[in-house]
Amino acid sequence: MHELSILQAIYLSLREIARRYGARRVLRFRLEVGELANVVPELLEEAFAVLKAAEPLIADAVMEYSIVPLTLRCPECGYYGPWRERTVRCPECGSATVDVVDGEDLYLRDVELDIPEENYGQDNG
Amino acid sequence: MGKITVDVKREVLRANDMLAEALRREWASRSMLVVNLLSSPGSGKTALLERTLEILKGRMRVAVLEGDIETDRDAERIRAKGVEAVQITTGGTCHLEANMVAKAWERISDRDWDILFIENVGNLICPAGFDLGEHLRVVLLSVPEGDDKPAKYPKAFRTARWMVLTKMDLLPFFDFSPERAVSEAKRLRPDIRVFRTSAKTGEGVEEWANALVEEYRKMYG
Repeated sequence: MHELSILQAIYLSLREIARRYGARRVLRFRLEVGELANVVPELLEEAFAVLKAAEPLIADAVMEYSIVPLTLRCPECGYYGPWRERTVRCPECGSATVDVVDGEDLYLRDVELDIPEENYGQDNG
Repeated sequence: MGKITVDVKREVLRANDMLAEALRREWASRSMLVVNLLSSPGSGKTALLERTLEILKGRMRVAVLEGDIETDRDAERIRAKGVEAVQITTGGTCHLEANMVAKAWERISDRDWDILFIENVGNLICPAGFDLGEHLRVVLLSVPEGDDKPAKYPKAFRTARWMVLTKMDLLPFFDFSPERAVSEAKRLRPDIRVFRTSAKTGEGVEEWANALVEEYRKMYG
């Protein structure tokens, strides 16, 4: 159950972004979960519930996620798309030297923030 | 109140990965080969290490960082071989993270080493997602576990450059096909290098230990 560690990492990112824009609360954030990111969304939800209760910044936040399939690019035949039959080989020409271009990592896609009026237009980045 | 949406597209484990990258560079600048050992609990990481250390003794300066949830029994086993071992007790966390490794490394960084083994917490899921700054990730698969492990835990086998089959002496007693294990692993990582070992009989251990020395020489001449 490493999802709590992952959620703590997400929280640190959210906090940094909220500070940068002078936000009071995070309203919503979206994740892109790679099919092979080794993250179980249900466990992520549980971890989120734990952290929500502890951190006012995200107390009312909504977490959304989408699953990104493992995506291959084949330098031999130019195939670009999801893997098939759970094999990291080109599904078109069979080449074993394909590049995995997506679906292995976990990304924070975007964040919706609540900014108090006095902080409008702030960017402390 | 004002609402804004910030587009970030940021990798979540960036902080871990940045620290891992810094460690990797530090270790390379000190001409070290750092090996991250991943496997299920009880697949024989410590036993393989014990045998490996016997072979490397006198040839390479070796140290071990031992990751466990509780106890320092594994570190004790390594120290019994006369090898420096630092225990990392994660206190419930099921994997090592770069910051834990950095802290343990500090305790022995005043001396020079050639090979540093990091024995990860026994678990094929969680450790696979955390870069520790290693130069070589090795996944172990023991005969009693079954040859379908790579298909069940794809990330571990996808991210490992080498795979070591362990407890090969038990092959007669289990329905385990090394060929199948290898072909399953190659589905995920076509260039994975495979070793077949038994810490009990010593089979293949020398080959694996020599490969580590070769890898070291390849990196640092």
